[in-house]
Amino acid sequence: MIPVWFSLTLKFMSIAVVAVCVGLWQGAAAGWAAACAGLGLLHAVHVNHLSRMERWLINPSADTLPDPSGTWGLVFAGVYRALRLEARKRDAVDRELELFTQAAQALPDGIVMLDSGDQLLWCNETAAKHLGLNPSTDYGLRITNIVRVARLAAFLQSAKRDDILDYRPAHNPGQTLSLEVIPFSDGRKLLVSFDITLIERADTTRRDFIANVSHELRTPLTVIHGFLEHMTDAPVQPAEQARRHIGMMVQQSNRMLKLVDDLLMLSRLEGGDAPQREERVDVYAMAHMLVEDARALSAGRHTIEMAVAPDACITGSAEELRSAFGNLVSNAVRYTPTTLPPGRITLAWRTNEKGGALFSVTDTGIGIAAEHIPRLTERFYRVDRGRSRETGGTGLGLAIVKHVLLRHQATLEIQSEPGAGCEFRIVFPPWRSVTDVSAPVAADAA
Amino acid sequence: MSNSEHTSKQFDADLEDIRSRVLQMGGLVEAQLMAAIEGFSSGGEAVIDQVLTAEPRVNSYEKEIDDAIVHVVARRQPAASDLRLIMGVSKIVTDLERIGDEAEKIARMARQIYARGALTIPRSIDVRQTGNKAAMMLRRVLDAMARLDAGEAEKIIAEDKLIDTEFRGIMRQLITYMMEDPRTITTALDIVWIAKAIERVGDHAKNIAEQVIYIVHGTDVRHTAAPPAALQGNA
Repeated sequence: MIPVWFSLTLKFMSIAVVAVCVGLWQGAAAGWAAACAGLGLLHAVHVNHLSRMERWLINPSADTLPDPSGTWGLVFAGVYRALRLEARKRDAVDRELELFTQAAQALPDGIVMLDSGDQLLWCNETAAKHLGLNPSTDYGLRITNIVRVARLAAFLQSAKRDDILDYRPAHNPGQTLSLEVIPFSDGRKLLVSFDITLIERADTTRRDFIANVSHELRTPLTVIHGFLEHMTDAPVQPAEQARRHIGMMVQQSNRMLKLVDDLLMLSRLEGGDAPQREERVDVYAMAHMLVEDARALSAGRHTIEMAVAPDACITGSAEELRSAFGNLVSNAVRYTPTTLPPGRITLAWRTNEKGGALFSVTDTGIGIAAEHIPRLTERFYRVDRGRSRETGGTGLGLAIVKHVLLRHQATLEIQSEPGAGCEFRIVFPPWRSVTDVSAPVAADAA
Repeated sequence: MSNSEHTSKQFDADLEDIRSRVLQMGGLVEAQLMAAIEGFSSGGEAVIDQVLTAEPRVNSYEKEIDDAIVHVVARRQPAASDLRLIMGVSKIVTDLERIGDEAEKIARMARQIYARGALTIPRSIDVRQTGNKAAMMLRRVLDAMARLDAGEAEKIIAEDKLIDTEFRGIMRQLITYMMEDPRTITTALDIVWIAKAIERVGDHAKNIAEQVIYIVHGTDVRHTAAPPAALQGNA
């Protein structure tokens, strides 16, 4: 390629040579005139190209790039290359920035960027939702103007690393956020918000559970303790009285035993560590035994019926299902009044329209008001505290049922009207009805 | 607004500081009102105390902001939009302080009702709902003030009518209640006061919304049936 300086010098030299030739042929004046004309022409060409360059640079793009041959072509190409390189670098930086923004948006926690005056620079969508910010209008506003909590203003002023502020947003009742401030370059701050609603709720549930368990264990223990103390104070008692006291203590300790058993069962079901046993369960035999148990519990005060076909069976864990069915039956016995006419309890097994097996326990008892039904399977939830305990319930029965059903992919349906009795239905998924005939038959694991 | 640059950066800072403090005061009053309503529905002593102890802080906010306003007016002689901001803010502060007073009134009445040991509180759910609506209105008007959003302020002005209607509804039901069972009159009268206080909160929130419109557009929409036509184009 010919260097620019060489090509320009060549043009200049050729003008000079032509001018000298003309001067020799037509005289000095004509020679100078020719030189002037040549230089003028050269100048005009350069001016033309320069102005094209100027026009092009206003909006440089490949489509409008002038393509003169020779020296100016090189210059245009050089400028264009430099511009394109710059643009490519800028695109790369833009992409990277976009990537970072998207990453910050994708974070599950809220992030707010504040300048040194606590004015909002940027926030991700989670933070906007958490704090009630509106990214399209609120950039540049002080965050304390939007989140008007006196504690936040003080917190932003004085927060050190690892300080945490719990905040319950007024625009979203029931939610609890945990806020943290992280200072970065030149007095700017990152405000990070975590949603700790679920953690808090789990905490409350755990506290309630411990309080409930302690209370439930304490009540029978108080009775036993009272009798024991009485015996220590007055060692000699009429035999009749002593027997009665011991009887009551046995009754109370049975209650504690049952509660602890239920708790262990529940924790085993919840833990889910033990792999679930899948066996063919003979529902007919099981229902038969449940009816026997129920008759014993009822002591002839209820009419207990069974509508289960002799070939009824299901795939699942016999021990767990027995516990779940048994809880429903004993609930029915305990909540059905014994006054005349005697309460009627029916155990039934049928197939619903979707082909799933269905076990139901129907009673003619006191029924359950609609507002209690969704909460029945909560641990220690009681519709009527006094009644439930006097009949020997632990408050864990339906919680156990719920967990057993979860493990069997079954659902519990409760239908009731106060005063008109109720029906508890366990609905199994259709595939559990298909039992493998070769599997061992477990009528009752107990 | 304070977004436009002044030669003196300090002036900008002063104006922004006043605006911030008004909104902080608003936040405090809002919390006070929510606590008062909560105190009414639950009777919790702690929340009621919270309302009563916030009162002196609200008052000191009012005095501080008034003082700051006098200083800015004396030193900077604000004009145009700055003057509107200052004028509007000084009226908003008064309204906020009154809302604080209403919240205090609700809390005192609630304590009285629960101290009397009233077993049933007539229309308590309706009153609580209307109260929450008024608190929501206050929160939104403060948002509109922070964002200088005149459109939102106009919507809030229209909503005040809703609270007025609900108030009249509660009144009618309470009257029926008192006629049926004269023993409830004492409690019902206390509830009348609470409902009235809530209705007043709605009015104050509406006043604040009007000041927000004045700050943004410079139009005075007070005591007009509908916003002037000039404004409707802007919103």
